[in-house]
Amino acid sequence: MASAKETYRAELRSAARQLGERCLYSAAKWAAELLVGVESDAGPAASAAMDSPSSSSAASVGRLLHLHRSGEVGSSFRHRSRPGGGGSSSEVGTPLGNVSYVSTPIPDDDAFDTGGDKYLLAKTYFDCREYRRAAHVLQNQGGRKAVFLRCYALYMAGEKRKEEEMIELEGSLGKSNAINQELVALERELSTYRRTGSIDSFGLYLFGIILRDKGCEGLARTILVESVNSYPWNWSAWSELQSLCTSSDILNNLNLKNHWMKDFFLANAYLELKMHEEALKRYERLNGVFRCSGYIQAQIATVQYSMKDLDEAEVIFEELLRTDPFRVDSMDIYSNLLYAKESMSALSFLAHRVFLTDKYRAESCCIMANYYSLKGQHEKSVLYFRRALKLNRKYLSAWTLMGHEYVELKNTPAAIDAYRRAVDINPRDYRAWYGLGQIYEMMGMPFYALYYFRKSSYLQPNDARLWIAMAQCYESDPLQMIEEAIKCYERAANSNDTEGIALHQLAKLHRMLGQSEEAALLQEGFRENGS
Amino acid sequence: MNVFAGVGGGAEGTEDAPTNGGSVLPEVTPHKIAVCQLVHVFAPPAQAGGGTVPPFPFESVAHHNRLGLFLFTLTRSCEDFLEPPLEELLRKLKAVDNLTNGWLCEQLTRTLSGLTSPDDLFDFFDKLRGVLTAPEGAGVEDVLLDPNSQLGVFLRCCILSFNSMTFEGVCHILANLVAYCSSAEGSYDLAEDEDYDTEMSNLMDADIGARSGIFDKYNQGYAAESHIGESSSAHAPLSLHDFDDGNAMKTDDNPTCLRSRWQLEAYLNQQADVLEKDPSSVPLNSFNATLTQLQTLAPELHRVQFLQYLNALSHDDYVGSLDNLHRYFDYSAGMQGLFTRSVSPSQDIIVGKYESALLCLGNLHCHFGHPKKALEAFTEAVRVSQMHVQRPLVSFGPNASTKLRTCPADVCKNLRLSSRVLTDFGNDVLSTSNDNGSFSTSWLRNLSAASNSWCSSSAESRKLHKNDFDNFYYHAQPSPVPASILQLAGSTYLLRATAWEHYGSAPMVRMNALVYATCFADAASSSDLSLAYVKLIQQLAVFKGYSAAFCALKLAEKKFPSSTSSHIQLLRMQLLHERALHRGHLKVAEQICDEFGVLSSSVCGVDIELKTEASLRRARTLLAAKQFGQAATVANSLYSTCYKYNMQVENASVLLLLAEIHKKSDNAVLGLPYALASQSFCKAFNLDLLEASATLTLAELWLALGPSHARRALSLVYQSLPMILGHGGLELRARAHIVLAKCHLCDPKFSVSEDPSAVLDPLTQATEDLQVLEYHEMAAEAYYLKATAYNHLGRLDEREDAAASFKEHITALENPLNEEDSLAY
Repeated sequence: MASAKETYRAELRSAARQLGERCLYSAAKWAAELLVGVESDAGPAASAAMDSPSSSSAASVGRLLHLHRSGEVGSSFRHRSRPGGGGSSSEVGTPLGNVSYVSTPIPDDDAFDTGGDKYLLAKTYFDCREYRRAAHVLQNQGGRKAVFLRCYALYMAGEKRKEEEMIELEGSLGKSNAINQELVALERELSTYRRTGSIDSFGLYLFGIILRDKGCEGLARTILVESVNSYPWNWSAWSELQSLCTSSDILNNLNLKNHWMKDFFLANAYLELKMHEEALKRYERLNGVFRCSGYIQAQIATVQYSMKDLDEAEVIFEELLRTDPFRVDSMDIYSNLLYAKESMSALSFLAHRVFLTDKYRAESCCIMANYYSLKGQHEKSVLYFRRALKLNRKYLSAWTLMGHEYVELKNTPAAIDAYRRAVDINPRDYRAWYGLGQIYEMMGMPFYALYYFRKSSYLQPNDARLWIAMAQCYESDPLQMIEEAIKCYERAANSNDTEGIALHQLAKLHRMLGQSEEAALLQEGFRENGS
Repeated sequence: MNVFAGVGGGAEGTEDAPTNGGSVLPEVTPHKIAVCQLVHVFAPPAQAGGGTVPPFPFESVAHHNRLGLFLFTLTRSCEDFLEPPLEELLRKLKAVDNLTNGWLCEQLTRTLSGLTSPDDLFDFFDKLRGVLTAPEGAGVEDVLLDPNSQLGVFLRCCILSFNSMTFEGVCHILANLVAYCSSAEGSYDLAEDEDYDTEMSNLMDADIGARSGIFDKYNQGYAAESHIGESSSAHAPLSLHDFDDGNAMKTDDNPTCLRSRWQLEAYLNQQADVLEKDPSSVPLNSFNATLTQLQTLAPELHRVQFLQYLNALSHDDYVGSLDNLHRYFDYSAGMQGLFTRSVSPSQDIIVGKYESALLCLGNLHCHFGHPKKALEAFTEAVRVSQMHVQRPLVSFGPNASTKLRTCPADVCKNLRLSSRVLTDFGNDVLSTSNDNGSFSTSWLRNLSAASNSWCSSSAESRKLHKNDFDNFYYHAQPSPVPASILQLAGSTYLLRATAWEHYGSAPMVRMNALVYATCFADAASSSDLSLAYVKLIQQLAVFKGYSAAFCALKLAEKKFPSSTSSHIQLLRMQLLHERALHRGHLKVAEQICDEFGVLSSSVCGVDIELKTEASLRRARTLLAAKQFGQAATVANSLYSTCYKYNMQVENASVLLLLAEIHKKSDNAVLGLPYALASQSFCKAFNLDLLEASATLTLAELWLALGPSHARRALSLVYQSLPMILGHGGLELRARAHIVLAKCHLCDPKFSVSEDPSAVLDPLTQATEDLQVLEYHEMAAEAYYLKATAYNHLGRLDEREDAAASFKEHITALENPLNEEDSLAY
């Protein structure tokens, strides 16, 4: 058992080093964090959580969910999060049967090949963000490592220039056709290497992101799969792959080797695809081995927040912040949670802390915006959301939240615009669709609003609120389409309509139509639910 | 507070950009620099003591003016959204330049390739300033270029834009200039007209692929034009190919520089017009690709999404059009409302915009045949507008079209209101500028077409020419009212025609359709225009007989190829069916009925109107074939359908048909209640002509009950006569005349010899009308009555004439010769 954990440690240790050598900073950071996150070998039962991915049984899922759904505030989690703390290990499946994992040999390239000194120089240039200089030093250097760093440096140089150009070229029509000028040459070079077989997994990763930038998503996926199959510890490659998996069909058709890193990937992909229960299941299992990993805890908390288990999620975030006080990643989710719970003081504390840590992070701006929004100062809130979007234009939730703020400010055109941008970045964002519907309904256009409610309920068919909103449109004075309204309320009543609005309304409508029997029946059901 | 704060560019940087279509400084691009250089040649800086007029190198004032006009159109044309590459500019310039032996082209390329460092650019724009200002010691009149003219403003904008540019911007221009100049180098020499023949012959031996490549390149000017879609549908595959070609060129060689915002909007408006007029000429996917390219280049130009909506709509893509409609109106936030080109108070625009959104949604549902949803959308549009503004709104017209089916009584009031609104609107818009750039575009295009006359040997390009000249002449006088408004105004006339059709006033239908076809043809979509033609031809058939109608139909079919216009196709079948029934060619009638049946059971959706028409015609055919039982069954089931769908007009006519069936089957008593029901229906819905027709049938039924009812029948006929003679068609009038005569003849108190004209006049009139209609059965009846009357009067010769005519018609009816003729016209 302990040796398995030792294997993880050994793999991650060398991965962090190798990734760092190649200036893949965030992947190296991720590996190192995880390395420290592997539970110490003290408790013998602790590692039991890692069962093989294929042996997951439906029964254990149900049990887990039940535990998390019941309102007893996160106590089960607190137990499990303590290393060696008993109780939790019994509930998680079979002991570590590592058989189904494919072990991947760690490539050994730590020794410098020829030209090692030049590589060293190039890496220092790269570290100082002098990319073209780094690439220049490595010109005519053989060896896969040197070739990779040269290509990567060129890519980064192109990206840097692109970012600059995007600002330089921005005209009144929002023109932003700046492209990375290096892409064409790099693609040509890397595809030659791939054909001749002289490319390593890092080169494949770079090739993958270049293809993605060029819009060849299918090929990019294939290349990234090749990369992670030959070198599974590069988290950046996994997350690029994840961003290219926009539907569960694509995800299921990937031809991935069964490495333990795949579990991290799948869990994250499930979370993004809103398959929360599957995501939670995987993270719980991973948590058995990587008990001290802040990443996993943050992800678990995010899933639970998405599943509206606010209390449990809050406990985890609090714990996370205690052990890692200068963390900014995922803290925007925490701030959303605090906003939902209206914990003004906790939110202000969080905002203050991230402000001192790093105020120029999109997440930090979002937290401050949330704080002002909770304070009712919506203009200031909009200001910070806009700053967050300046830092990251594709920051989806900021667009949606800014839409909410504009609604508060009664600036409907701006709100519509903001929501629409969110929807165009991710057409599966049902909240923004719902927001659009609400605005149009507020403007007295219930018929027009129906389109948006339909979109949102299509994406989130088990959410009673969406069906109720649609029903209210149908029921509204101008439309008076009672039959359709009844159908929607029925859908809502069959979903998780905890407040019983749908039943109540159904009874009312049936009575209106003179169907008193149905009304009485529903009233009864309502009373039973209420008691 | 500015309501758009923060929406404008999606980034803080553009927050202070003008929002309501105010003038934005154009970006300086290589193409603009080239035009500036040409302006400099056109109006060289004034020299102390005055220069020569015209300046060097122009030979005459006309020559000089030609360059001026060329430059003017360059800054206004909107044939594409990208600025043309240098190669194309040079080719066009050659048409102006032939007098100076290519001096202009050479000078331009030399100047452009001389701009290699930032300082060169500074000097260049310094030099330009001299064009606009007089040097010391010279009078103001020495300056050739008025700073307030189109070119003057253009030049000033460019200079200002350059002066406010950052150093990075200058570097970008230099990089773009290199690409711009190099794009022309490869093929510039080839483009010499006189060299072309020798080049061509040299190439004959060479590899064919290479030759076609060069040819394509040479033709690149056309590539940019042909996907505009002004040419006919035969161009569709060609333009697809050209698009790819042009695209490859643009991305590889020429820096992608957008034209000015004004030109882009004009381009989009032009495309929208094309889409609306003749959607089949625009291939869905390639135009979508064009729009996507434009959208990536100008993400904040939201009108592109509206074009995407139009494109999807005109190609019957429901989901695509719905999504793009909502996206456009979500984004534009009132800044690019449908009709707004002027700066108006923002609140106004916003409401106008959401109302436009609902109107478009309603139109969309109309287009896809969802009348209920369309009605909801229109009603909501009216409600929203009432909630927010006092200004009258344009939604009555479309609203009427959907209401027409259920309650025609409301329509006229609405229409009258809408025309007043449109007048107001016209006044609003008149104050704004209406040059939409098409004049400049076609001038420029014709210029290059003329200079490239060698390639007109191919059929396509000749067609292109012709179309262009058409466009040139038609649009030479810019219309004072934008096309969209014209279209809306026109459709009120069409609606009015339809409304009158229901009320039953033929002259009013004719007048409104005529007004539409003559006054609004330019702005109308082909489908609307064909509808107006259909109405006019139907009128012809009813009033002038079939030969006239079929003549007109032939013309209409030439104008609207049957593949594109279902209206015309339907009309053809209607006319053929009517004529076959009248001639007694029952087999043909049945055949056409079957065709109707096939059309109405179409796989792409149920058109309830078509379905009812098919059954109605089937019932009438059965009636003509004397299959009374079957005819009644069909009519009965049709009645229940019409009742179910609230189709009041059809209800009344089906009831009338049932009365007719009973009358023909000699069951007058059973027919009476149907006729009465039809009559009261018509009264309730003000369907005057149909009511008169029902009254006439009632008279016939009474008459069939015996001579004792002749008086009552006569009074009913008199009651209906004014309406029928004033508004009815040939058939109805003839019927009324015959019934009138029959009443007299049946009346025991009436004696023919006392008042022969009371019987003979109507009968003569009837026979004349029926002759035109080729309605054998009724004509025979009229001649029979006529012969009887003459017999009573003892006028034997005339009696024999009438009897001979009677026999002729009966023979034609009973032994139909050449039935197949009925399918020809």
